[in-house]
Amino acid sequence: MENSAKMFWTGLSPDEARAALVTKDKSMRDKRMTLKDAVSKFVKNGDNVAIGGFVDVRQPVATTHEMVRQGFKDLTLSFQSAGLGPEFLAGAMLARPDHCSIKRIELAYWAHEAFGLSPAWRILAENSMVEFEDWSNYNISARFKAGAMGLPFLPTRSPLGGDITNTSRTKIVDCPFTGRKIGLVPASNPNVGLLHVQVADMYGNCIIRGSLGTCVEIAMASAHTIVTCEQLVSHELVTKNPNEINIPFAAVDAVVHVPFGAYPGACRRHYYFSSDYIRKFLALIAPIAKGGSSDALKAWYDEHVFGVANFDEFIAKMPAKQLLHDQAVEAYNYEALA
Amino acid sequence: MTASTDYTAQEIIVVAGSKVLENNKIVFVGTGLPMVASLLAVLTHAPGLIPVFEAGAVGPPLKRGLPVSVGDSKTFTGASYLQGLNAAFELTQRGFADFGFIGGAEVDMYGNLNSTMIGSFPDGYQKPKVRLPGSGGAADMAASCERTILIVPHDKKKFSEKLTYVTSPGHLDGSPDARFKAGMQGKGPYRVITTKGIFDFEEKSKRMRLLQTFPGETVDSIKAATGFELLVADNVSEFKAPTVEEVRLIREEIDPTGVFVKRA
Repeated sequence: MENSAKMFWTGLSPDEARAALVTKDKSMRDKRMTLKDAVSKFVKNGDNVAIGGFVDVRQPVATTHEMVRQGFKDLTLSFQSAGLGPEFLAGAMLARPDHCSIKRIELAYWAHEAFGLSPAWRILAENSMVEFEDWSNYNISARFKAGAMGLPFLPTRSPLGGDITNTSRTKIVDCPFTGRKIGLVPASNPNVGLLHVQVADMYGNCIIRGSLGTCVEIAMASAHTIVTCEQLVSHELVTKNPNEINIPFAAVDAVVHVPFGAYPGACRRHYYFSSDYIRKFLALIAPIAKGGSSDALKAWYDEHVFGVANFDEFIAKMPAKQLLHDQAVEAYNYEALA
Repeated sequence: MTASTDYTAQEIIVVAGSKVLENNKIVFVGTGLPMVASLLAVLTHAPGLIPVFEAGAVGPPLKRGLPVSVGDSKTFTGASYLQGLNAAFELTQRGFADFGFIGGAEVDMYGNLNSTMIGSFPDGYQKPKVRLPGSGGAADMAASCERTILIVPHDKKKFSEKLTYVTSPGHLDGSPDARFKAGMQGKGPYRVITTKGIFDFEEKSKRMRLLQTFPGETVDSIKAATGFELLVADNVSEFKAPTVEEVRLIREEIDPTGVFVKRA
């Protein structure tokens, strides 16, 4: 077996993940709560936190803001491709290192596609402020999937041939059936998964529109899952077509109704990217890379996160014209009769 | 077909990229210029081209404008199949993707790409000089698309003898059956499109070979801008400048606000 990198589990080992489910209350109960209560109940210092969505689509932005408000230490972040989720958490670490810290990142990609690179990622990595482990999108997706399937690993082709195998816990083995080389990626069973979805009922049954990202796998793999949703609807409506349910209630621990919960990122059928806002936020972090002041970033957090009680108040600070514009663009992307 | 006289470096890349694509094939499309190239192919010679986006959309008609993300809502509308990342990469691993477009900050003579870090490796992995975004889906496309098309701006430093980090493996060390022996699938890098020309990989050595020069470039100017020893095909030709109509399609139909294709 090639690659003898030391094996360790971040979050739960497969056996621990199984044991955690055995004792979990799986009843179909009302899981509605405030985001403040959900974060204080389910996110602990040192946790491996999985971030749902994809780049700046359906990122769990509201939940990351609440985490910043409450403060956190020594987190591990796990995601395939993410943008705003880690950016808001890492920006807080740069603005208030006494209050927020990330220890480790397991990722495939952290940037913002058309909106630019992630200044926070460059600062954290180039100054060795966090440890990290590179994977590919499929590697991480398969890791969550293995965790969701109750398996310790999945075989995949794509760590083969490159340096991802040299910098990660991938194992390359000879396939017992074909004799050819195959890569094995270890399961990821995070302590807590953060998801923003379009629709949920009070029990946590979720419907996702557009790309599922790896949200289903994260919900099934994580010890706890916090769901924020654009629409909180009746159980009868969600179960009208049971095939449409992407995440079952038993995989969810908290349901929080947070309209615009992925904003200024995009959410299918609700709003498109607020590209100007994303660029402006990134521009607050960028100067720090060149030794510049973090005052503007601190001021942003003071006003928009620490200075508000909840995410609704953050959204209330946005000009109505901007919110309506981003909704109107999405109404063109997804045309529907009211 | 009137040749354009005011096309940009990115526009000729887009036109060259679109021409590599074949009608009725499935192409795995990354963010940026590959999206524009695929849309241009659909509007010109390949109306039956089927784009796949890694967030999950398969075969969307893209009638709602240019996506700015491979997870953009515009890729979801009208898609023939839409799940998530695992499904997109599983169908690629299975062999459904004929082409994949990938990029990187550095490329070597065997078409291996780096989009992870600049600095020293392995010692400096945790303290990179420049930290890049990371693989995203590029390593997956490199490992499992049947043929890959590489887009890299041509620069002596970027066309490097030795990569800092191999994010997306190409022909590896160029040895016979290297990809198969490593457990990978697909034929690997098929074409490289740069700001200076179009390249393929010589069959035996798997080394990058100049096929066509862009207007204004010569074999020597391209060799001089390449940090490794470049092979040159016997019958190097000049790639024709984009037509006025191709440039109009890019500027007016595909990317009217210049999201990915810069005017300057």
